[in-house]
Amino acid sequence: MTEPAGQTAVRPRAPEPERKAPRARNRGSNVRYDGFAARAGSAVHLLPAVLLVGVLLLVPFGYTVYQSLTDYDGLSTAQFVGLDNYVALFGEERFHRSLLNTVIWMVGTLLLPVLLGLMIAVLTNASGWATWVRYAFVLPYAISGTATAVIWGFMLRSDGAINQVLGAFGLDELQREWLLSWPMNTIVMILANTWQAVGIAVILFLVGLQTVPRETVEAGMLDGASGFRLFRSIVFPQLRPVTVVVVGISIANSLRVFDVIWLLTNGGPGWVSETLAVTMYRMTFVLSEYGHGSAVAVVLAVIVVSVSWVYLRQQMPKRG
Amino acid sequence: MIRRKSLVAAAAAVLMISACASGSETSGGSDDTLSLNGDRADFVEAYEAVGAELQEITGYGIDPRNVPSTENYQQVIRSSLQSNSATDLVKWWSGYRLQDLARSGGLVNLDAEWEAAVDNGWVNPDTAPSFSYDGHVYAMPMYKSYWVIFYNKKIYDDLGLSVPTTWDEFIGNAQAIKDAGITPFFATQEAGWTSFIWFGEILSKLDPQFYTDLMNGEASYTDEPARQAMQIWADMYAKGFFTSPDTAWDDEPALLKSGEVAMVPMGTWRNAIFTENGMTDDDYGAFVMPTITPDVAPSVIIESGVFAVPEKAPNKDAAVEALGEWLNPDVQEVWVDEINDISANPEVPIENPVLTSVTEQVQQSEPLELERYWEASPPALVEGNVKDLATFMVQPSPDNIDATLQKMQERADEEWAKWEQG
Repeated sequence: MTEPAGQTAVRPRAPEPERKAPRARNRGSNVRYDGFAARAGSAVHLLPAVLLVGVLLLVPFGYTVYQSLTDYDGLSTAQFVGLDNYVALFGEERFHRSLLNTVIWMVGTLLLPVLLGLMIAVLTNASGWATWVRYAFVLPYAISGTATAVIWGFMLRSDGAINQVLGAFGLDELQREWLLSWPMNTIVMILANTWQAVGIAVILFLVGLQTVPRETVEAGMLDGASGFRLFRSIVFPQLRPVTVVVVGISIANSLRVFDVIWLLTNGGPGWVSETLAVTMYRMTFVLSEYGHGSAVAVVLAVIVVSVSWVYLRQQMPKRG
Repeated sequence: MIRRKSLVAAAAAVLMISACASGSETSGGSDDTLSLNGDRADFVEAYEAVGAELQEITGYGIDPRNVPSTENYQQVIRSSLQSNSATDLVKWWSGYRLQDLARSGGLVNLDAEWEAAVDNGWVNPDTAPSFSYDGHVYAMPMYKSYWVIFYNKKIYDDLGLSVPTTWDEFIGNAQAIKDAGITPFFATQEAGWTSFIWFGEILSKLDPQFYTDLMNGEASYTDEPARQAMQIWADMYAKGFFTSPDTAWDDEPALLKSGEVAMVPMGTWRNAIFTENGMTDDDYGAFVMPTITPDVAPSVIIESGVFAVPEKAPNKDAAVEALGEWLNPDVQEVWVDEINDISANPEVPIENPVLTSVTEQVQQSEPLELERYWEASPPALVEGNVKDLATFMVQPSPDNIDATLQKMQERADEEWAKWEQG
């Protein structure tokens, strides 16, 4: 019925029209000149982007690395202290907790928005549910992290809406101090963040679903597949490029989450719900320990780049 | 055509950049206006009103600027002190937070202005240490807030309670309020800094000398008075006297007004919020918390924000001259009328009846005036210890007392050593 792939791959190309012979005059020096001019032209076009990245990203990062090797406090002259800030950091129990929370956030933010986003996209795409159902999940994405935290603060505090509703239904034994004990506060903040972040996953998966050719689905159905089997074997493999993007976004978001935590728990009680981004902020901007905070920033940057690099290297198609 | 558009865009960009550059060079006000940086949006109108009064006296008005986040504000000031982008006046905190800036050499010495104010009877000379570093004054007080217990008068009247004068009466009132199904006291760690309030209040009413010694690094958090204060606090928690530790700090005025909470410990600067919420002296009152035992010397915790002049202020001399008149009663009357708090100038009359009652109580008992916990020790020590106190508030069990105090003392050892090194 269909043509074997191999045959199309080796189909001979149509002969190209004969090219005109190059002009003979001043050929050697002109080629060198043209090549240089082309490279110079490219460089001029690249320069703004290179400058922007250099000035806005690389220079600050270099300065942060330098600052992490000093005891700068924002007022007095910075003294070089070598790796002291890093040694102190890795010896602190609070830093270990912050690191653990960052991992929990990464796993949670990876699983929940991606899986829920996929599920909501598939259900609302296939079942013909009313558009407003889709909007209900997508619209929170338009809300800022700060607004999300304020809304969930009303709900999660001990005297908040969730405990009041539970009390109204006689479910007092289910009432909790949601934000006051670890790891529950981290888990409920991940859920709050998921509510806000799942929208982008839904949108991307919906776009992905629209690109799945109807013929492939019909072919699968003709072969007897249906329901989850049809989704798993036919649809999901074709969503791989979108999934790569959604997971990538989720990883980046999980590692830089700050506003929701800062506004809901302030990283506390004490330090128990801090992630690396919150620890970095607190050390730098609350304690004015710029060197210490910069060391956290460098550790966070190394983790973000490493995780993203490994993930993208695994997922992106290889060249050649 | 495209090239022309590009040139126009480039020219616009250059103009924007140069505009930004000139902005940083002109951080001061104009010839007759002093720029003032602060982190209290609710003070902006008061700055403008008092600026008008200052202009009549000194010829310099005030152009207020505001950074909404306190954390951001602190960084703005710290970095601006080293550059030419400082404003003429900056709002800051007293005590060790002021010393932190002053010892970097970033602030102007105000000894002469302070002495003139003392000579005029505009300020209590005993308060100088709160605004000094190394024996020199570097700031002028914005106000003088007393830390008191604000209480809901309707609850007190309904339950037939009277303002307590002893610790037993204080706890007795709380128990009666609790028995009536009302939460006696507001307490939260939600805003971060608020976790030190009850620790500071109880400790200062248990042993004011120990409180002072502890704040100055001359006593240990593991000493018996600190332990005893934590035990009293834990007992009060066990009796169910406090709101949940995650209660929103912003809800405090509403909870007091509605009668869901009967008493809140707070500086008199909070008085402005209560009046803005429509409360009058028929609705609420204030009293200084009684000492734990009658033989303890009465004390009250005080707090004052400050104004300072950066060394690199564009209109430094004018700013210093303006601060020389800051405590002038004519200026202060306008100021305290706007902010609804107590002036640092004892000559300035107080209009608000609740504040009047506080000053009357203070004059009557002549308590020791103690610096608030927030300003009374090096900033890094305080910022760390409020985290430990917040953790304790969530689990206020007697079993957690020793571990909490041990952590606080370990931090004290570390941070005092850093502070001494400069």
